[in-house]
Amino acid sequence: MSKPAAERKRWLISQVELEAWLDGIANARKLIAPRQVSDIMLYRPVTKSVEIAWREQMPVSTHTNRPVLSVKEIFFPPTERLFTIQKTGQEIHLEETFPDWETVVFGVRPCDARGVKLLDALFLDTNPVDSFYARRRGNTTLIGLACKEMGSTCFCTSVGGAPDDAHDMDIMLYEADGGYLVEAVTEKGRFIIPGGEWKETSTKPQQSTYSGQFPVPEKGKWPEHFNDEYWMKISERCLSCRACAYVCPTCRCFALRDEMLAPGEFERIRCWDACAGENYRRVAGGHKPRAEKGERLRNRFYCKFYYYPEQYGLGAASACTGCGRCIEVCPAGVDITEVLMNLEKPA
Amino acid sequence: MNENPMLPYLGKLVEVRNLAADIKLFRVEMSNGGGEAFRTFQPGQFAFVSAFGLGEAPFGIANASGRGPAVDFAVARLGSVTTGLHELGEGDIVGVRGPLGNWFPMKKFKGKNLVVLGGGIGGAPLRPVIQHVLDHRSDYGTLTILWAARRPDLLVFTDEYDEWRAASDTNLHLTVDNPDEKWDQNVGMITQLLEKVSPSSENTVSITCGPPIMIHFVTKMLQDKMGFAPINNYVTLEARMHCGMGKCGRCNLGEKLICVDGPVFNMEEVGGLLETFL
Repeated sequence: MSKPAAERKRWLISQVELEAWLDGIANARKLIAPRQVSDIMLYRPVTKSVEIAWREQMPVSTHTNRPVLSVKEIFFPPTERLFTIQKTGQEIHLEETFPDWETVVFGVRPCDARGVKLLDALFLDTNPVDSFYARRRGNTTLIGLACKEMGSTCFCTSVGGAPDDAHDMDIMLYEADGGYLVEAVTEKGRFIIPGGEWKETSTKPQQSTYSGQFPVPEKGKWPEHFNDEYWMKISERCLSCRACAYVCPTCRCFALRDEMLAPGEFERIRCWDACAGENYRRVAGGHKPRAEKGERLRNRFYCKFYYYPEQYGLGAASACTGCGRCIEVCPAGVDITEVLMNLEKPA
Repeated sequence: MNENPMLPYLGKLVEVRNLAADIKLFRVEMSNGGGEAFRTFQPGQFAFVSAFGLGEAPFGIANASGRGPAVDFAVARLGSVTTGLHELGEGDIVGVRGPLGNWFPMKKFKGKNLVVLGGGIGGAPLRPVIQHVLDHRSDYGTLTILWAARRPDLLVFTDEYDEWRAASDTNLHLTVDNPDEKWDQNVGMITQLLEKVSPSSENTVSITCGPPIMIHFVTKMLQDKMGFAPINNYVTLEARMHCGMGKCGRCNLGEKLICVDGPVFNMEEVGGLLETFL
């Protein structure tokens, strides 16, 4: 449970103290942080703070410092093994392996932490609990880093978030004069803060710069737009490449399949999938519901702003965190903000 | 339930027999805790069956729980998993995950007439309804079964038609699109048969399963021509589910998920959404 801002303890630390702290964490647990991998930034394990990508670039302020994939992949990996299958004659033996290592993720952006919270509604709060997600989530501590200002494709403030929203973090870091303001948001976060060595402060974090806010149609307004011609028109651009879903912090469609490891030995895996795919809904016998690209693109937007919130009790909130990744990654210029603004336009 | 709800129970195939062309009936005896999970299940529920090494696929449970401890699945050989299952024989082990989904409200149907419409393999999840009514015959009014297939050799459960016909207050009507020379029953689409039989909607519920396009036309005809209220017009739907527990996101029908909100719906619930299913 996150504490109200007024009750959170805060410390002021220097860059050197931050690095020492992260090095300590990396020694004791698995530390995941943004790393430069083949010229792109990804959340990856690091063994020393010096490997963290944005160390040289701090203070961090623009969207280009946001990893290409969200933290979703840490809790819900692109591919994961659910169990192995041994076949010996007519005998079948199934063996499970669960992830159970302690992990700390450093440098989480508020939009990504919010994405995890939104995935919790499905994987944790709706029965049956997903045992793989639950274990990773329970064993992971999120250290956030507030964005000082919003990037060019960011719109978190339009969907209920903020560049300095600490709500869904365990610990939040804000840039401050001479280093960082560290805020303990949850008990879990407090647990890994070496409080005694740091200088406690009553200073409040400086608010980040909010920008680019626009009205997003509320949930109740979506049904009336279902048959808008707009969906077929905008989908002319769509390539059904599914990249938007893969970079999205909350897209969570998956497929299960068996893969062979060796003769008589298999694994059942779960891997990411996306509703934009042409064969996504194909059923035995070849029938393909949602055959039109426009129907599939529409489904993605409805899932974010209407279906998922309805299905998993998000109330008035949507399942979009405003991270803007889908805008950056789309090779065809489908821009979610353009779509949302179009729906708000009077007919 | 297992800690990991995606881990199947193991079950032994105790009977495998041909049901129709490229359609087999698999009777599974559960083990490994599956016996407890499948001790009772309801007409309309479904389960995933694994052909280990090839994957798993969802199937409507094809028998009523009261008909013995084993669980029946009717499987048409269409894709890799079903082809893998067709290669298995008695004594082989399959995985079973379930029972999943909601069911036909058989208690609510008590005292009512039932019209059951099955198209092809779509008849499989309706067999438990028929069995349940036959096993509790005095609880229900007239049972009218409309059973259809593209060809005579694609009709399922043919060896049980005598039992159905012999039951009191029970009528079976058969039709095929393409008859062979031996065929002496109706010829044509199930909608043509429905028009001919023209069941009264008075104190009656309808239950339909078949290809999406059949569900569309049959439910429409029941409402438009026979006066069935949407709330008495039941369907069971299928989709390409992967988890069956409301997680994988694949089977949505608007804001509903076929796996957890269904697969059984009445048309009041899904009438406006069915278009997205076609």
